[in-house]
Amino acid sequence: MKQNRVIRKLFFLILVCFIPMYVMGQEIVVSGKVTDVEDGIGIPGVNIVVKGTTMGTTTDLDGNFSLTVSRDATLVFSFIGYTAQEIAVNNQSIINVSMVLDIQALEEVVTIGYGTARKQDATGSVTAISTDDFNRGAIFSPQELVAGKIAGVQITNSGGAPGAGATIRIRGGSSLSASNDPLIVIDGVPVDNDGISGMRNPLSTIHPNDIQTFTILKDASATAIYGSRASNGVIIIETKKGKKDLPFKINYDANFSFGVITDYHDVLSTDQFREVILEQFGSNPNATNLLGEANTDWQKEIYQTAVSTDHNLSFTGSAMSIPYRVSIGYTDQKGILKTSGLDRYTGALSLNPSFLDDHLKVNVNVKGMRIKNQFANQGAVGAAADFDPTQPVKDPDSPYGGYFTWVDAFGNPIFTATSNPVAMLNMRDDQSTVLRSIGNLMLDYQVHWLPELKAKLNLGYDISSSEGTVDVPKNAAWAYDNIYGGGQKTEYTQGKKNELLDFYFNYVKDLGTVDSRIDATAGYSWQHFFREGTNYTTNVIGTVVDDDSDYKTESYLVSFFGRVNYVFKDRYLVTFTLREDGSSRFSPDNRWGLFPSVAVAWDIGDESFINPDLFSVLKLRVGWGITGQQNISNNDYPYLPRYTASEDNAQYQFGSTFYTTLRPEGYDANLKWEETTTYNIGLDFGLLKNRFTGALDYYYRVTDDLINFIPVPAGTNLTNQILTNVGDLYNTGVEFTINAKAISRTDMYWEVGFNATYNKNEITKLTLYEDPTYIGVPAGGISGGVGNTIQIHTVGYPKNSFFVYQQVYDESGDPIEGLYVDRNGDGIISEDDRYRYKKADPDVYLGFSSFFQYKNFDFSFNGRANIGNYVYNNQYSSNGTYSGLYNSAGSLSNSTTSLLDSKFQNPRYHTDFYMENGSFLRMDNMTLGYNFKNLLSGTLGLRIYASVQNVFVITKYQGLDPEVSSGVDNNIYPRPRTFLFGLRLEY
Amino acid sequence: MKYIKMRAITVLAVILAIAACTKDLDTVPLDKDVITSASVYEDFDSYKMVLAKLYAGLSLSGQTGPHGNNDLSGLDEGFGQYLRGYWYAQELPTDECIIAWNDLTLKDYHEQDWTSSDPFIANLYYRLFYQIALCNEFIRESADSKLDERGMNATQKEEIAEYRAEARFLRALSYGHALDLFGNVPFVTEEDKVGSFFPQQIMRADLFDYVESELLAIETELPVPMTNEYARADQAAAWMVLAKLYLNAEVYIGTPKYTETITYAKKVIDAGYTLDTEWENLFLADNHTADGIIFPIAFDGVHTKTWGGTTFIINSAVGGSMNPEDFGISGGWAGIRVTKELVGKFINLETLKKKGDLPGRKAYPVLYVPGSYQGWDPSDATTVVASVNDDGKYEGYLWFPDADAQFKFSNAPDWDHSIFGDVDASGTTGTLTKPGNNIVAGAAGYYKVNVDTVALTYTIEKTDWGLIGDATGSWDVDQDMTYDAVEGVWELIVELGTGSIKFRANNDWVINYGDAEPDGILDTESDNNIAISEAGKYEIKIKLGSPDYTYTIEQFSSDGRIMFYSDGQSLEIDDVFEFTEGWAVTKFKNITSTGAPGSDQTHPDTDFPMFRLADAYLMYAEAVLRGGTGGDAATALTYVNMLRERAYGDANGNITADDLDLDFILDERAREFLWEAHRRTDLVRFGRFSNTTYTWAWKGGSKEGQSVESFYDLYPIPASDVAANLNLEQNDGYY
Repeated sequence: MKQNRVIRKLFFLILVCFIPMYVMGQEIVVSGKVTDVEDGIGIPGVNIVVKGTTMGTTTDLDGNFSLTVSRDATLVFSFIGYTAQEIAVNNQSIINVSMVLDIQALEEVVTIGYGTARKQDATGSVTAISTDDFNRGAIFSPQELVAGKIAGVQITNSGGAPGAGATIRIRGGSSLSASNDPLIVIDGVPVDNDGISGMRNPLSTIHPNDIQTFTILKDASATAIYGSRASNGVIIIETKKGKKDLPFKINYDANFSFGVITDYHDVLSTDQFREVILEQFGSNPNATNLLGEANTDWQKEIYQTAVSTDHNLSFTGSAMSIPYRVSIGYTDQKGILKTSGLDRYTGALSLNPSFLDDHLKVNVNVKGMRIKNQFANQGAVGAAADFDPTQPVKDPDSPYGGYFTWVDAFGNPIFTATSNPVAMLNMRDDQSTVLRSIGNLMLDYQVHWLPELKAKLNLGYDISSSEGTVDVPKNAAWAYDNIYGGGQKTEYTQGKKNELLDFYFNYVKDLGTVDSRIDATAGYSWQHFFREGTNYTTNVIGTVVDDDSDYKTESYLVSFFGRVNYVFKDRYLVTFTLREDGSSRFSPDNRWGLFPSVAVAWDIGDESFINPDLFSVLKLRVGWGITGQQNISNNDYPYLPRYTASEDNAQYQFGSTFYTTLRPEGYDANLKWEETTTYNIGLDFGLLKNRFTGALDYYYRVTDDLINFIPVPAGTNLTNQILTNVGDLYNTGVEFTINAKAISRTDMYWEVGFNATYNKNEITKLTLYEDPTYIGVPAGGISGGVGNTIQIHTVGYPKNSFFVYQQVYDESGDPIEGLYVDRNGDGIISEDDRYRYKKADPDVYLGFSSFFQYKNFDFSFNGRANIGNYVYNNQYSSNGTYSGLYNSAGSLSNSTTSLLDSKFQNPRYHTDFYMENGSFLRMDNMTLGYNFKNLLSGTLGLRIYASVQNVFVITKYQGLDPEVSSGVDNNIYPRPRTFLFGLRLEY
Repeated sequence: MKYIKMRAITVLAVILAIAACTKDLDTVPLDKDVITSASVYEDFDSYKMVLAKLYAGLSLSGQTGPHGNNDLSGLDEGFGQYLRGYWYAQELPTDECIIAWNDLTLKDYHEQDWTSSDPFIANLYYRLFYQIALCNEFIRESADSKLDERGMNATQKEEIAEYRAEARFLRALSYGHALDLFGNVPFVTEEDKVGSFFPQQIMRADLFDYVESELLAIETELPVPMTNEYARADQAAAWMVLAKLYLNAEVYIGTPKYTETITYAKKVIDAGYTLDTEWENLFLADNHTADGIIFPIAFDGVHTKTWGGTTFIINSAVGGSMNPEDFGISGGWAGIRVTKELVGKFINLETLKKKGDLPGRKAYPVLYVPGSYQGWDPSDATTVVASVNDDGKYEGYLWFPDADAQFKFSNAPDWDHSIFGDVDASGTTGTLTKPGNNIVAGAAGYYKVNVDTVALTYTIEKTDWGLIGDATGSWDVDQDMTYDAVEGVWELIVELGTGSIKFRANNDWVINYGDAEPDGILDTESDNNIAISEAGKYEIKIKLGSPDYTYTIEQFSSDGRIMFYSDGQSLEIDDVFEFTEGWAVTKFKNITSTGAPGSDQTHPDTDFPMFRLADAYLMYAEAVLRGGTGGDAATALTYVNMLRERAYGDANGNITADDLDLDFILDERAREFLWEAHRRTDLVRFGRFSNTTYTWAWKGGSKEGQSVESFYDLYPIPASDVAANLNLEQNDGYY
């Protein structure tokens, strides 16, 4: 119902907007072509406005336009980079226009921290991708727009669940225990990247269609202005805005898609399973009697074809000389795992009025979103691979929702048996509603008495609230309790509120006398982060309280920053930045951190000895800087001695009274910033009039005083492991990007892009004092057994190196169970024989894209490849043994086909038998589009397209999907293959 | 001018705003559950809450029950609870326990081949030192000088002084565990500040002196026995730790201190505690009301929830065919059982004849026998007759509790296949047809039922069972057995001489069984008399309900501490990871002494009895036997027999002075304290833990058991702490 109402309102709104078009008389259809004066090629996207109105159109891809106007109207032709022209219609029906490049306007501008810079003045490693270059067919999440587009940036979706988040790593990640996520700044507001319960992707606040540019700041020269949060890079997202003098425009995008599962886990077939059970347990009727008669493919039972739709409607224009843009979006996305899906409404409003003769520019952005999530019980993915295929889904006699359930002799569910995966999905209702808004008010005042000076005030916020419930009925087998009621009822809430105040001055002055230009910025920033939450879990009838917890916490970040960019002779550039950050997370003694950077650049292309026909751009950049990291494990007071009270279910009895207990917390009073020093050398180039453009960067990043979670000497602190500053690591690598316009003709255009990144990571120190015997910090928890890990951080090795035994094989190549190579040669196989074998991160990652256009058709694709990333197949290791087939409590479990290769009796979690090369090539997206021209005399643009996402993956990896950012493949929500049909209307 | 003024105001405003904002950095926690150290001790009530945490350190793993907000990080929270870690270390490497889980290195405990990187050992170690650090913090913060600073009044100071003494007791307890388990360990006291430093390693003997001196120092500061609140330590608790320390002094410091053992055991004994008349009550959900518990670790199904402690002990003891409801839990974890050698401490294994060692029930073809006596349920697999030769001839025994029992036969566990009934409406002709009429038994009783689905005939015959044979005194007169409808067995407790026995029905030889092989399965072969080689009192059971007719003959003991579950459990353990191999233990339950279930079905209310009066009795007796002075053998015998009489319910189990020797003490400790976390320390003291003097199933990693090197008497210092603390030296034998 609600949905209908929204659509009705939209429809009404559209009608109202159309009305003005029909109240004009004395009209004439004017058409023509807008071309570049130099090469005569049509310019697409030129804005044509009837002067004094908001009416107008834009040129199509060939530069043609058609417009119905009053005979005495004047048309204003404008396009970024060209000088605007005014032409009176004077009864002409054909007006051809040649536009002249505006040298001044050509100064392409890139967004950097606290302001913008002329691209030619930039000295840091900054990559901006805007609408034209976005991946086409990206539908649900903003990060898909740029995945694989930028060297040094690795974006891994965390799975195929609707609304799933993504792991974004810029240049390999510089921390061990602290966050490796980049700082994300949306319209000047650094947003909360820690996730919100019930919302897995912080970026999904914005509809992809609302994004204008993604700017990635990679090296310290670019990021140091963000100081203590910049070690892992910065992503600046600018949303689309209204512009002055643009005609009223409506955009409508819609698509319809369906996702299908691409592959299933390889498990024993029903016949194989029966055979193996009889062969292994033939003499044990306790086991063989458990075999059923059914033939169930459990994996097929839990997946569905996921049908989704997405709509986005936006209006831009000017009202009462206030440029505006309004956008609303609606997404209805279903997951391929049954019972998963989400429902998302997004809205964005941007107003950009100017006052005081354009001296005061005001920029208001408000973005809002409401997501209603329906989460599926993801445990069903693993359970479906585990469940005995000879059992039926339904059992009419089962008291547990009518689902087949393993029960003991008394009819009670066996807790150690796998739960029925279909019951896990259908008997668990897990919902959440998330509201989030990000907004800012930017006042940009150009000082009347000193026009070179601008004062800027930016007030921003990022507020979210979520509410969720989990309901499990009392007859669900896994929550069964015949005395106290069973089932589960959880209600949780979370609220976050981040506030921002930036105030800074920007001074830009061309000193023509000395052929110099200065661009200086200095200011102050204040941010407050607040979050709170509750959780209340009981059984269905509310008598047993399992959890009643709440929390509330905050932190502040106060900063002073400055930047000076000096340009001499338009060729020699130098940039200094300095930021001082104060964080409430550290003690007053360690609270302040100073983060400087300096970079120089030389625009060699402008030198006279360079042939400009060969090198249109050639710029060398060298930078150094220090950045910090302070995002630590959700603890806002790691330095402060403090006490935590216990929950009501963790009290202690004295006499007949239960006392809430107070626990002193471990702390490190000396905890301080983690510091990353980055060195960067880069070369930007453009060849043959920018037919080829690209960049080559080398970087070396050392992180000192790693915020690391390490064991304390027993007895010295009020915990056994603590966050402290110990250890160093470095990342070094090379990035290369090239884009080429292979064909550039009137009716045919082909552009290809390719980027490659090589990154190497090594830990150089982990302990306070040198200890060559120290094996390292275990990492990478796996499923199977209790507390098992498969990775380790060790000095001299990359972080998250796998730590395994070397399997011994017999003559026929089969692994010998439990026999490993005695690597240290001491005659016994012990834990000391484990070795560090490969790591989860790739050595090299590549991205490629292609855009081809012929007349009205266009075809594009983009993809990625990782080389040298290894995956621990936890699916195989935890579920591929004979002993796992039968549980003497009275149940059977299926096994992966790995069992047929390994023939392992018992789980052997730590053998390298389960290590696999996860290198892959993935075609993320292929899109075919058609643009209709001359609809409604050219006033209506229509594009229809069809797209396939996750087209194919080429890999040797035997599991479902080699793209696992942690390197441990276990229970991942499979990424669907999605077929999408969409249309875009532009009026 | 105007601009200048504006500028000045602007600049001033900016400076003020910035100054105000940097103050924001001085935050304090907002969460009501989080209090800073600066303020926590201002409030008198906080002291007791911190004290509660020190006690909870033994019981809980974190600030949220049963898990969440863990005190430690690293290993799984459930495994990392203090008592569970301590219990593992004290029970798993002994004859008292074998665990069916293949988690990490857990099996190394049985095999006694753990290494210094064992995560369970590390977890226990860090638990001990976490507990010590907590106590240090409280002792530091509750120093009189600090109390004065905070303006506590005299009454408050007195109260807090008592808490402080308890904190010192708890620290001594944990240091006692550390010196028993690890020997030379890092040493930290309230003199050390929280922070990064390398504690010195204290030698075991020095730590012994320290623990002794601490306990002696607080002896008078603690409340007199039985005057403190339940679950809080008093003087008797400190005396128990001292007595234990002295009893093991020869192991710890090489010098015997048995006289001191007697002194402190006597103090406990004379303090006024009494033995609970019902031994079983000490291990039930309401054991906080039981007598004779000197120091418990408290648990509660609602308020004190953990995955360790008695939650672990009770849930993991249940598996196989055990009914979880009998233990007040919703489902067992099928983990812990005992070795055959431990069963031998209670039961003469030589005289034990038992079917349980056979693999599970054979899969013979069966006919289901749905009837009024069992709710007309054709799927009930317990009411069937079986065809042992798969020849259409079925036989079995069924119990009809009521006179009007009616039934039919079905060849499948449903009504959709072949149903057989009597051709005649009377239901008594003995001829079958499909589906026919209900067959009528006519009288309540235990019936032998024979069916021939080829000839379509059946017979039913009511049977009453008895024991006969020269071992009973006569081959002519039966000793009548009685039917236990709950267990489905005929049973008899009887005095037997040497000779033979057989079982027969209805005082007649028409139906009789013996065991020719003997394999525990009753048969009708010739020469199938069952030999009884040793005269004595026996408990004899026959079970005819299953396709294989089985029997057990156990030398009868009325020791009430025999709490094993053997139905479907084999005595021999071929596969450590199979719960049904090894007898299960029914000692700890989440059921009250009146039979009511505890307040939660997973997390028991049952407290763990860490120190009991019975321990003081046995320590006294052992110290006397080992030559301590201040006690006497007669009193020792009296104490031992007090425990025996409680266990047997009468004087039949009493022993004489001749019986009382050290071997007896060790075995009696196993019987009295099974699964109470004393066993490893006891075996080490008796020199039977690592070496060949005594082996048991799977000791050293072999089924028969084998000795291991003596350095395994101590656990290794975890490799992670040797790496983190420059001052530590690893225990001998480990690297």
